[in-house]
Amino acid sequence: MGAAVQPADAPAAPASITAPGRLARLRAATLVLPGVAWLLLFFVLPLALIFVVSLGSRDSLGRISLDVLSLDNYARAFDPVFLPTFLNSLKYAGVTTVLSLAIGYPIAYWISRYGGRHKVLLIILVMLPFWTSYLIRTYSWIILLRDNGVVNSVLQAVGLTSEPIILMNTDISVILGMTYGFLPFAILPLFVSIDRLDPDLISAGRDLYASGRGAFLHITLPLTMPGIVAAALLTFIPALGDFVTPDLLGGPQTTTIAKNIQELFLAGRDWPYGAALGFVLMIVTLSGTLVALRTLRREVIGGD
Amino acid sequence: MNDRHDGSSIDLEKALVRYMVERRVTRRELLERIGAVGATAALAPIIAACTSSGGASAAPSSAAPSASASTAAASPSPTAQPSPEAELNILNWTDYLADDVIKSFEGEHNVKVTQSFFSNTDEMYAKLGEDGGDYDISFPISVDVPNMIERGVIAKLDKSLLTNIGNLGQEWADPGYDPGNEYTVPYMWWTTGVGYDPARIKEEPTSSKALWDARWKQHISMLDDWQEVFGLTLIQQGLSANTTNTADLDKALALLEQQKPLVRTYSTDTIGTMTSGDVWIGHIWGADRFAIQESIPAFAYYIPEEGGVKGSDTVATFTGSPHPIAAQLFINHLLDAHNSAANTNLIYYMGPNAAAKEFIDPAILEDPTINPDQEIVDKLEELLSLDQSVRDEYLSRWQQLRG
Repeated sequence: MGAAVQPADAPAAPASITAPGRLARLRAATLVLPGVAWLLLFFVLPLALIFVVSLGSRDSLGRISLDVLSLDNYARAFDPVFLPTFLNSLKYAGVTTVLSLAIGYPIAYWISRYGGRHKVLLIILVMLPFWTSYLIRTYSWIILLRDNGVVNSVLQAVGLTSEPIILMNTDISVILGMTYGFLPFAILPLFVSIDRLDPDLISAGRDLYASGRGAFLHITLPLTMPGIVAAALLTFIPALGDFVTPDLLGGPQTTTIAKNIQELFLAGRDWPYGAALGFVLMIVTLSGTLVALRTLRREVIGGD
Repeated sequence: MNDRHDGSSIDLEKALVRYMVERRVTRRELLERIGAVGATAALAPIIAACTSSGGASAAPSSAAPSASASTAAASPSPTAQPSPEAELNILNWTDYLADDVIKSFEGEHNVKVTQSFFSNTDEMYAKLGEDGGDYDISFPISVDVPNMIERGVIAKLDKSLLTNIGNLGQEWADPGYDPGNEYTVPYMWWTTGVGYDPARIKEEPTSSKALWDARWKQHISMLDDWQEVFGLTLIQQGLSANTTNTADLDKALALLEQQKPLVRTYSTDTIGTMTSGDVWIGHIWGADRFAIQESIPAFAYYIPEEGGVKGSDTVATFTGSPHPIAAQLFINHLLDAHNSAANTNLIYYMGPNAAAKEFIDPAILEDPTINPDQEIVDKLEELLSLDQSVRDEYLSRWQQLRG
């Protein structure tokens, strides 16, 4: 009997330990509830709605009809008419990302290494533009770039040109506007990862006869790669879907896929088609991101 | 009207508000937006610092002598008139209805009129919902009328109450969007045409072909509106602006493809692109010229000699209107010659009312861009609400052009 009681008691002891453990886990889970609810309500649910709408069709009045669900809209989404605008979007997002990294990295590096006690102030300065509406800042570029704008006036005043150079409504104006807009999104994660880097590692590298360039390439750059990846994603993804900047600063040759989607919704009154195209764009972005992350993780970051 | 101000900073704010509203700018809307400039200035303290927001008195002051609408009370009222309800709710643009016209209606029928306002058509349609909401009267754009009739939003008119309907001009008796004016009555109309800066374009163009003139390369703009752009092009080619023939559309697309290298921008922000100096000649909504003339007083506007696109607002009552009889009587009131003229003198749009002409401010009547010759009027075509399949044909070609 006594022997039989023992095993029965034995599991009871760990159970009395796990019970508060489970409770603690439950309590901890409540911490993520607001976040999960937020994502469900404002991300998963709208996404599901878009997906359902994309399977539907529209009636003669342009209203969404879900009577018959099909993948027809997805077949239409691969219409070659969207290829040039999709390539445009990729081009602008790609160039914007590269420029943001190239400009942002030295700034982040400088703030982290030489910012000293002004670091916080400098980071606030990076974020300062956010205090003004994005539209106003984008319109300011028009005032700078238009034919009789600030840039052209200066160029003519110093005698570099006699006629205004057409800057507005070109690739140049779109890329300038987008890089300007997305640069802070690159600087912030870069700053965090550079600032976390232990300077002793670089000193150690130098002690082992690494050149300044060598130390940067073999120590600083690999160790800040997570920041670079984060910065690239934070600029590339919103840049790919950016609608406002190319629409305001662009011209006849700068139409992007986001503009096409907007037109399908509004001018075309074809929500299912627009939803399908939007969904395809999202899948492409998402899978591209995942592939990029996996490759980088394996090759650069190494393991976790 | 001619206050001195730093044009560029005002431009910026105007342009911002314009973008946010994201609808065609008409004079009446401009008035509202000028009011909103103060609010946006708060977002741009630096810019606002060098701005005298007082310099924003908008469109031309309507100093026109408004035809005394009180005389309208003298018009004979029909004997077998049902008595109207005690109230009437109007949903309207701001400055789109003369005060005298409302007062005379209130006095004549003992009805209390309440006006509510919207700032863009999306807002109007949202407030009207599926049966007009609490509103008795509003002013849908003609192109949206067929859809609203089919959805059962707009109520059929009782012609027996519309004793003044004979005042409508002949060309408005049977409009394409509402054959026989069974559901709506036209209220005001306007045109889309070509505007240019005479400082840059030394000759006086008369054709829409000026928008294809390589001499103005990179300084030509077209509206970012597929129906307007195809409309102008089709009319230039002698075709219907509402064609359903895909061969016609292909012809128009080919012509537009030729034009594309000359185009600086496809944009509805013509006030911004014109006043910035980037665009010298462009496809513009006629009403926008008032705002452009604020910066470029000599700015010229014309309706192409080949003909042009016209647009119109209708006045309608709704299936859920709480005061249907008052609504019909009010529509009849608007059809009165004096009242129609009073509204034109306020808004600077021509109405469809043939009988009203003698009471309209001569300055408006003599302006060929507001009141074109009959010869031009006959060549104007109103954009219609196209079937979805036809719409798709236009849009896919438009996206091909823009790609």
